[in-house]
Amino acid sequence: MFDRQLSRRRFLSNFAFASGAVATGVGSWVIPAPWANAAEAPIKVGIATDLTGPIAYAGTADANVAKMLVKQMNDAGGLLGRPLELYIEDTASNESVAVGNVRKLIQRDKVDMVLGGITSSMRNAIKDPIVARGKTLYIYPQLYEGKECTPYLFCTGPTPAQQCDEFIPWLIKNGGKKFALPSANYVWPHTLNVYARKVIEANGGEVVFEEYYPLDQVDFSATVNRIISNKVDVVFNTVIPPGVGPFFKQLYEAGFLKNGGRLACVYYDENTLNINQAAEIEGLASCLDYFKVLTKENPFDAKIQAAYEKDFPGNFLFAAGSAATGTYRGLKLWEAAVKEAGKVDRDSVAAALDHAKIAEGPGGPAEMVPGKRHCKMKMYTAVAKAGNYEIVGRSDGLVDPKEC
Amino acid sequence: MANAFVAAFEILSFGAIIVLIVLGLGIIASMMGIFNFAQGEFVLLGAYITYLAYAKGLPIWTGMVAAPFLVGALGFVLEALIIRRFYAAPIVAMLGTYALGLIIRESVRGLIGGFYLTVPEPIGGSIDIGTMHISAWRFTIIVITLLVMVGCYLLLSRTSFGLRMRATLENPSLARASGISTPLMYGATFAFGSALAGLAGALIVPVFSLYADLGIRFLIQGFVAVMVGGVGSFIGPVAGAGVIGTLSAALPWVMAPVVADVLVFVLAIAFIKFRPQGLIAGKGV
Repeated sequence: MFDRQLSRRRFLSNFAFASGAVATGVGSWVIPAPWANAAEAPIKVGIATDLTGPIAYAGTADANVAKMLVKQMNDAGGLLGRPLELYIEDTASNESVAVGNVRKLIQRDKVDMVLGGITSSMRNAIKDPIVARGKTLYIYPQLYEGKECTPYLFCTGPTPAQQCDEFIPWLIKNGGKKFALPSANYVWPHTLNVYARKVIEANGGEVVFEEYYPLDQVDFSATVNRIISNKVDVVFNTVIPPGVGPFFKQLYEAGFLKNGGRLACVYYDENTLNINQAAEIEGLASCLDYFKVLTKENPFDAKIQAAYEKDFPGNFLFAAGSAATGTYRGLKLWEAAVKEAGKVDRDSVAAALDHAKIAEGPGGPAEMVPGKRHCKMKMYTAVAKAGNYEIVGRSDGLVDPKEC
Repeated sequence: MANAFVAAFEILSFGAIIVLIVLGLGIIASMMGIFNFAQGEFVLLGAYITYLAYAKGLPIWTGMVAAPFLVGALGFVLEALIIRRFYAAPIVAMLGTYALGLIIRESVRGLIGGFYLTVPEPIGGSIDIGTMHISAWRFTIIVITLLVMVGCYLLLSRTSFGLRMRATLENPSLARASGISTPLMYGATFAFGSALAGLAGALIVPVFSLYADLGIRFLIQGFVAVMVGGVGSFIGPVAGAGVIGTLSAALPWVMAPVVADVLVFVLAIAFIKFRPQGLIAGKGV
């Protein structure tokens, strides 16, 4: 009986939440402010992310994080005494659809800030409608190749410096000096590899080969053969799905791991663990701003993770590789900036966001580097062991993004 | 020497995978004159059924055995409900099957949440010959592909079912006059082609993992193989698949993979320009 009541209450609250979300056209969702304030209108938060298409799993998680945070902020009394209203638009993993939908956020809904975009091509497509023509603040939450220095565009995910500076010396110590850089043929791997090669060579390592593949290539026998016959120690991989699964499998079958080889891949998080059998990626090393295993040592991470899983149980994980942690950090930094500025116009918030800090976030504190519009954060090196991650390295303090 | 052997094996195994995928496509295209754009999604469904068996804790073999039968049955139903209405208009049929494929693909994407999911091989690990390691499962795929090819050939050329099938597809009115139920034969042929796609999906999913675009990834390659091989016979598309699969796997060994990817298509287009009827012309088995 008790159980039934509880579940009915839970159902009703979920139902209220769902009915509160108003559909305003294909792929548009509004979660209105929970209380009316006669004095001042709500602050409008815009989220533009991939709710459908191949990377919908990442976009859905990001939208979930935004819903969770906006609800928390409203429960705590809103911002500047005003409630928050959340506007979510689908960028559909498709740049031309995205530009139209983002314009809706800017022109129809007149949001005060837009957070979103996952791929670099998406960021490039929507930054102009948001920042230049839309005259709105834009926060980009995903790990990426760096070099985005557009004014009013703030990046809250890790950059190549943050993912390589601590990670590559660790790989050389725990793998070896001979690196292979197999890569998917698009902007992120090309730019990341330039930086990675510099760090590898500065630390006494050597790049045996760097090679690019079509994005849908799924047979890597020639690559695997070169890796084995060149006796490569570390495969620093930037091949993406669908190719990465067959690639790691072929490496495993060719005896790369058995011979003591080390896999490394800086976008690998909890979602990507399921692409392969655990044995095929045993010892794979990744370097990100958050891993779920941190919940064991860091009470604040445990709190975020538990709150997320309570609101959104299911397959869409709170994971660093899908920009969920960057979304969290971005919204909290923006909240801090709005509080400091005391208003929501673009220039005041951007000026405050330029040096905003949060004491607690996924993986630890974070702060914007003044004048750089990028974010310092703690970085963690983790190794896959029997289908889970184990933290093997932590940055001493906050790592500099070294951008702009 | 060892290197050359490994290279030959890897190239052969990818060739076998492409042949396996093209078998069903080729039978439907050659025998029925329909270019089935949903064929990639039938491959995907075979893969999905195998994944379901694994996720439910059943032995993976059961999923692999069930996949061709279930996908074949679905093919039979879809032929009767939808495809049958398009025989008079092959262009519309392409659009119709494309729409069908889109529906299946996006439904599967919804069901698996857009993730990439691993399915283990029933025969895992590698076969070690001296210092060389070759994948046990890829070796199994080569063997099964050979068996299925021979089996299909015998079915079409040596059995009375094969004879009736070919009669129906070559001259339907004469076949009807001779007492063959042509609608049933069309349904059976389409189901057979679908079942082969289901089998292909079931066998390749451990290699490539399950994701919604698994089938469409091979569709274009499959059609190029059919064009190169020649429409009209069973052997034609199979030969074309062998050529395209082998080329796609072999070229990256000698040149930049990005160039190799394009070159396969350039070579195929050039070949079709000079020999439009394909490698093996004419009707028959």
